[in-house]
Amino acid sequence: MPDQFTQLREVVIIGDGEAAKRLTAEMLEVGVAPREILEAALLPGMDVVGARMRSGECFIPEVLLSARTMQGALELLKPHLAEGESAGLGTVVIGTVEGDLHDIGKNLVAMMLEGAGFGVVNLGTSVTPERFVAAVKEHRPVILGMSALLTTTLPKMRETIGALREAGLRDSVKVMAGGAPVTLSYAEELGADGYSANAAMAVETAKGLIRKA
Amino acid sequence: MTATIRTRMGDGHAVALSRDDLRRDLVDGSQEAARRAKIPVLDGADIDHLAEIFAYPGRIAGVEPGHEVVLTKDGCANTLYGGQMSSGVGIPLAREQGVRLMERAFGFDTMEIGHPDYSFKPAKPLVALEQLCMAQAQLDCVVPLFYGAMPNMGLYFRPDGPFANPADLLPDGRIEEARAAQLEAAARLRDDILYVSRAMDEVGADGIDIDTTASAGDAEFLATLQAVEELATHTDLAIEVGMATELVLGFHGELDYKGRRLAGLWPHQQLAVVEQAGAHLFGPAITTKTNKSVPWNVARACTFVKECSRVAEIPIHANVGMGVGGVPTVEVQPNDVVTRVGVALVEIGRADGL
Repeated sequence: MPDQFTQLREVVIIGDGEAAKRLTAEMLEVGVAPREILEAALLPGMDVVGARMRSGECFIPEVLLSARTMQGALELLKPHLAEGESAGLGTVVIGTVEGDLHDIGKNLVAMMLEGAGFGVVNLGTSVTPERFVAAVKEHRPVILGMSALLTTTLPKMRETIGALREAGLRDSVKVMAGGAPVTLSYAEELGADGYSANAAMAVETAKGLIRKA
Repeated sequence: MTATIRTRMGDGHAVALSRDDLRRDLVDGSQEAARRAKIPVLDGADIDHLAEIFAYPGRIAGVEPGHEVVLTKDGCANTLYGGQMSSGVGIPLAREQGVRLMERAFGFDTMEIGHPDYSFKPAKPLVALEQLCMAQAQLDCVVPLFYGAMPNMGLYFRPDGPFANPADLLPDGRIEEARAAQLEAAARLRDDILYVSRAMDEVGADGIDIDTTASAGDAEFLATLQAVEELATHTDLAIEVGMATELVLGFHGELDYKGRRLAGLWPHQQLAVVEQAGAHLFGPAITTKTNKSVPWNVARACTFVKECSRVAEIPIHANVGMGVGGVPTVEVQPNDVVTRVGVALVEIGRADGL
């Protein structure tokens, strides 16, 4: 019979939320360290899900089920983590830039980042550069994610990065840009640190950025 | 011998490649397809032949005598009377005139008649008019005539249709509701495909072309397969299933057809379930990457199509059109590359028709 770490990893992969909660509770009860549960079972499970999505073996509904499963288990872990200890990979502040009300893709990215172990502060749509800056000051995220669907709102990404710089916060946070009209070259031109073409790759990009940091 | 080969990128821009660059792109394109679908790469002889096709200096390329294949036309007259947004040339003529032009002037071997909106859902309330057009065209033409339409399951979701939109539900985490909505839409779509197809069968259509299948993912593919199974069992229609995509996306994710999971199927695997359902023709659709060269895209498309041809028990009619099969994603297709795509898919991909 597989050990509990393997079992928990497997139920994250298949998106069985109830089983994940039961296993997590049992492991906590017998004294397994919450950090070990996170790093040896939950996060590796989501890594498998991400890899399968990239190879076309699993798709958004399954990824979301796994993300929800991961979230349920994380909720059980949080009270057991030491004060000040992050329940995951750090915080991401995310929003759609000013003038743009499109949020389907941005919300998918937010859910998948949460599922991968990031804490997510979702600012919603039409977020002004000033609100992004205020959220970075308040939440001290490791990553700021900006989304845009309209080509007319793309310049707001540049303005937001400028506002971060003016506030002296640019070096404290990695910036990711995404959305249908955004390309890698545009993101680089903006001065963003990361770009991804889809929600699954956004998770990989975010993990890559915090590894570099 | 020219030092460089003029070809294009997947977005249609002209580009000049050295012979080494051309060969590298051909090998890389084939390897990319093979890696993704876990299928064999093109062999050395295939790569050599592809290099010859692209290095040939003439503007127009053609297959060697004896390699000619059946040419069919989806949408048919729509291409003549449709506007540029529908990839048409805007000539004011009726569908019946268009069909005759396609047969007698352009020499197509088969073709289809389709509603201007080219989806089963809008064709349904007008099917009596569609029947008249089909009946008249059958009297006018010698070639076999299909009725063609797209499943286009997106039309069944709000705001275009009655069912909740999974694209709204999924980002809210309402996964079970999103899946249920897809099943409801798929059941309605299946009924509409059957309704229109049976009506065409009544007036003597030779076949039905279910075109751009699985554009809305695995649930749309399931509805199509179920309709095909029913039509193959109870009608004499020739049934073509043309695909929308090289990879069936799992917007539902858990659907299967006779035990085979539909999400994540590559062309040769799509073919297997299409055959199982009872279709008579299969049209693989390979996506063109706009930031790669046409040779890269064509080698990639040929790798997928060749595997289909290798395992197929029914004819393979590869899709050749804007953004598929290695054809650039550009409204007015440049003949220099489109003709090379056709030659390559026949001589390397072993397609039975285009």
